[in-house]
Amino acid sequence: MKRAIPVLALSVAGLVPVWLYSPGAAHEGEINEAAAAPETQQQKQTPAPAAPKTTSPAPKANGTAPTTQQQQQQQTQTRNVSGPAVNTSEGTVQVQVTLQGTKITDVKALRAPNSNPTRMALPLLRESALKAQSADIDTVSGATATSEGYKQSLQAALDGAK
Amino acid sequence: MPVRRVEHIMGLPISLDLRDGDAELAERAFASLRQADSQFSPFKPDSEVSRLDRGELTREELTPDLVEVLSLCDWYEDSTGGAFTARVPGRGLDPCAVVKGWAVQRAADILREGGASSYCLNAGGDVVTAGEPEPGKPWRVGVRHPDFADQVCVVLGVRDGAVATSALYERGQHILDGRTGQPVTGILSVTVFSDDLAIADTTATAAFALGRDGIEWAASQEDCEVFIVDEDRKVFSSPGLPVHIC
Repeated sequence: MKRAIPVLALSVAGLVPVWLYSPGAAHEGEINEAAAAPETQQQKQTPAPAAPKTTSPAPKANGTAPTTQQQQQQQTQTRNVSGPAVNTSEGTVQVQVTLQGTKITDVKALRAPNSNPTRMALPLLRESALKAQSADIDTVSGATATSEGYKQSLQAALDGAK
Repeated sequence: MPVRRVEHIMGLPISLDLRDGDAELAERAFASLRQADSQFSPFKPDSEVSRLDRGELTREELTPDLVEVLSLCDWYEDSTGGAFTARVPGRGLDPCAVVKGWAVQRAADILREGGASSYCLNAGGDVVTAGEPEPGKPWRVGVRHPDFADQVCVVLGVRDGAVATSALYERGQHILDGRTGQPVTGILSVTVFSDDLAIADTTATAAFALGRDGIEWAASQEDCEVFIVDEDRKVFSSPGLPVHIC
């Protein structure tokens, strides 16, 4: 049964782009690109359409999809989309997808047999460069695994410090 | 009365910083660690693990503690497709990777049940904390920098929680991929924050054994937040990691 949940979650994840599809979103890739580089996106900005809730087709300029305020907003808006409740031999399964703009940021099982709603594991990782610091700390993780190493370790210094 | 104590058990330097307890309570915690060592060490011929490995005990004769440890081993072995294993071919049963976190968490639980509410127990770099060292402040748990022993690469602010790091810096390449029997490559350091050290420590070790695949695997483990450094010195961290801004 456990396998059914990820499978359903993936199915819903697969459906999301279809649900999101609208003529205006045909150049999503370009919109994302624009969002990633705000300074260029600013230059390409055109007046926003009046209807706030639609992503109506916007005229093309220089072969690039113009980014409107709405689209920009949609890019960062957080929304929850619930999938249909699906009956399986083990019980009813329903999942919910959280979207930030067009990016899936979380998948949650609203209903799963014999369990409370659980957060589905969807890795959300931030990437950054490794930094070194000599901060004020109480203890060290990953400090040492051997007696020899310990003698020279930061943790040994901390243990002796107080 | 604050107590500070360091003792080497299970081949690990174990440091206790107990802010509100006495030496007798600290001794009970350390005694449970020594007991875990004699029960689970594969290096002691009369340990329960060694006797099981020699076929002198059946599954039915095992203590509930060893059954729990072995079931944790099995769970992580399954979950990692065998990259994490307590039974490396050519070697005997070695549940150390689970025992360490499990036993240290149990020692921390003894402190809590004994009435302590503020302590930091560090076993070879795997940490359990409770409460606050000073009112309003979390325990500041530095994660050792993979390249510089005297520096940290991130500081976590932790009240009740566990932090474990699996890394390459000291024993050389000591973590083997159970699928291939070869030393793991691709990752330099995996730190896992969770509310239980058995989970944090085993998740860190298992993620390390998976190599690059371990990055996403660890991040997707329930109730685990990660800080992972890869070979290219790139950092991958969970948004929920309790990073302490110094």
